[in-house]
Amino acid sequence: MKKISQNPALRGQSGPRRGRMLKKGLALLLSCAGVVGLFLPAAGYTTDTTYYSVTAFGSVFSHLVYEHTAVPFPIFTKLFALAIPMLILAGAVLLLCRRYKPAAACYGFGALAAAAWMLNADATAANLTEYGARGAESALLPGAALTLAACVLAAILALWTDRTAEFSETVFLLLACVSVGSVAFITFYMFFQGLPAIFRIGPADFLFGTRWAPTAAEPSFGIAYMVLASLFGTAGAIVIGVPVGLMTAVFLAELAPRWVTAVVRPAVELLAGIPSVIYGFFGMRVVVPLLRELFPGKTNGDSLLAVILILSIMILPTIVNVAENALRAVPQSYKEASLALGNTQIGTIFKVQIPAARSGILAGVILGVGRAIGETMAIIMVAGNIVQFPELLGAVRPLTSGITFEMGYATGLHRQALFGIGLVLFAFIMIINIVFNLISRKGAVRRA
Amino acid sequence: MRNKEASVHASGSLHVRRRRPGDAALRGVIWACAAVTVLILAVIIGHILINGLPNITWEFLTSRYSAAKNGSKGILPMIINTLYVVILTLLIAAPVGIGCAVYLTQYARQGRLVRLIRFTTEVLSGIPSIIFGLFGYAFFCIKFQWGYSILAGCFTMAICILPTIVRTTEEALLAVPSGYLEGAMSLGAPKLRVIFTILLPCAMPGILTAVILAMGRIVGETAALLFTVGVSGYRLPDEVFGHIMDQGCTLSLFLYNSAMNGKDPIGIPYATAAVLLILVFILNRFAGLLARRLRKQ
Repeated sequence: MKKISQNPALRGQSGPRRGRMLKKGLALLLSCAGVVGLFLPAAGYTTDTTYYSVTAFGSVFSHLVYEHTAVPFPIFTKLFALAIPMLILAGAVLLLCRRYKPAAACYGFGALAAAAWMLNADATAANLTEYGARGAESALLPGAALTLAACVLAAILALWTDRTAEFSETVFLLLACVSVGSVAFITFYMFFQGLPAIFRIGPADFLFGTRWAPTAAEPSFGIAYMVLASLFGTAGAIVIGVPVGLMTAVFLAELAPRWVTAVVRPAVELLAGIPSVIYGFFGMRVVVPLLRELFPGKTNGDSLLAVILILSIMILPTIVNVAENALRAVPQSYKEASLALGNTQIGTIFKVQIPAARSGILAGVILGVGRAIGETMAIIMVAGNIVQFPELLGAVRPLTSGITFEMGYATGLHRQALFGIGLVLFAFIMIINIVFNLISRKGAVRRA
Repeated sequence: MRNKEASVHASGSLHVRRRRPGDAALRGVIWACAAVTVLILAVIIGHILINGLPNITWEFLTSRYSAAKNGSKGILPMIINTLYVVILTLLIAAPVGIGCAVYLTQYARQGRLVRLIRFTTEVLSGIPSIIFGLFGYAFFCIKFQWGYSILAGCFTMAICILPTIVRTTEEALLAVPSGYLEGAMSLGAPKLRVIFTILLPCAMPGILTAVILAMGRIVGETAALLFTVGVSGYRLPDEVFGHIMDQGCTLSLFLYNSAMNGKDPIGIPYATAAVLLILVFILNRFAGLLARRLRKQ
């Protein structure tokens, strides 16, 4: 297959000459559009007194004037703005010289420069603030976006002119890299948003402080009780959910008559499909009142126990699916050998099959921990949301609902602190992910 | 030798199954656990449907919503917003996800890059939706200055569902017999043409499964949307395309809001929950049927 596709006669042809001219012409036209975009308003800045709109080209040679003081543009803004037309020009020249790949690279770098210019718009606002302007804010206007889009399209056309086959592989590769880029961006942003607050508060005060009073006159940001609430809730869910889930998995894999499997398996699938907000609503309307009646006077119903109960239901399907797969992956000969030695069926299950499947079952438990610790909507509706030491029947506020609860009105350091909580959660999740990856590589386990 | 005989005698005959007293108890526990699983599901579904179904009326599904005490309490805007989010998210995520699966199955050679792509896809599917929500808020709403908008929510959700689409599509693509592809290639068709005329059409049921699974996920998602599409978008769209920059409360967000602030009569969140539940079940069922048809092929 490889040989054939490398044969130039059979490879994807670059198309008839006219098509190529058309693409080239379009790319040149787009270059012009990109340059035009440099002279259109690309960013706007508002302060308490004035409004400025700036073109990308203007940012190279001019400066802003705020109350008779000249406010220069940051050096990077100038450099990026200067790089864009040069790169576009180089791209156009290379295109005319039929150097399609270098031309595409030039356009690509031009697009990157335009994107960098746009991302750097905030820095100018920061400069304005530094020179005494109050309430400086930046907004992006269409100019730079036009340049960016034109550069991207021109790069694509230049590549396309070259070779269809390689071009299409590049496109598929780029699509495949979206997930890599997303993870990179998410990681970067969680640190970027969360770390400043953690360091302003002090890592020890933040993680081990027990007083959470973000809106008090002397604000205090200690999340120890939230971390504990999350950990206790997750641990409780594991204690209840894992035995039930594992037994259900054993049932499905070994014991169930066919007609019972036909009931239980769809039930597990349905449990996995129910949206978390419905679990929360169910908990709020059924579990919470039930607890209130069971322990009259001791609890309001919104409690750690309610969180644990709801979470253990939610992690059931994950554990059942992964554990069942792991049990089924145990070689049949193990079971036969055990039975042949005179062990009973139940004895075989508990002494042979479960131990043999333990790494898969462990992976399921870890996945369950990941789900439980990150669960938000179901918890926030039953937790009671009071920051205090988590007791079984008292109201709690785990990390996730801590973020959700206050995001609506938080500002300044408070909001940054919420991102700090997000970062702590993210760190937990990443550790869990990596551990899962290590374990699942050992046994052939798949995420359910 | 003697021992063996003794044990055989102790357990009666070889043909009668040995029983230990603990076994029956353990067997009972296993059955009970399976029963508990089914029972929990039955209670949840039963509770939601019994309380919700009587409140679903034609008017409830087709009228506007107003937060005022005696205002009309319809969920038409939420249904429309949900449709917006589902369609737009799939428009973004499906091409990317399918493209990624095509690359992984057709072009990729085992190497560091492929391992990285697989690892990050795994990681993405493990990240809880509230982290996606925070990221989407910081990146799309603040950095891109889209504010609380359906567009920001859709981009966030697209990242959320990417792993689902990639993995399910990849399985579907691998199930296409390689003879089909080799046949087409041996006739001189370029790779791209093989992909678009042979591979993708043959894998269509599988790809549809992926898309429908993703739809179920989007419909039920709340935390990631809470921070990105905002919670107060109860208006009907003024213009078809301009609406994507508005706030847009989806069904699941509305259920959360309505249940938490307690201002609506309790029948309203119940009915919404029932609608949501039915919708998600229909989608999952549909995906299951398609997957089964694919397997039979």
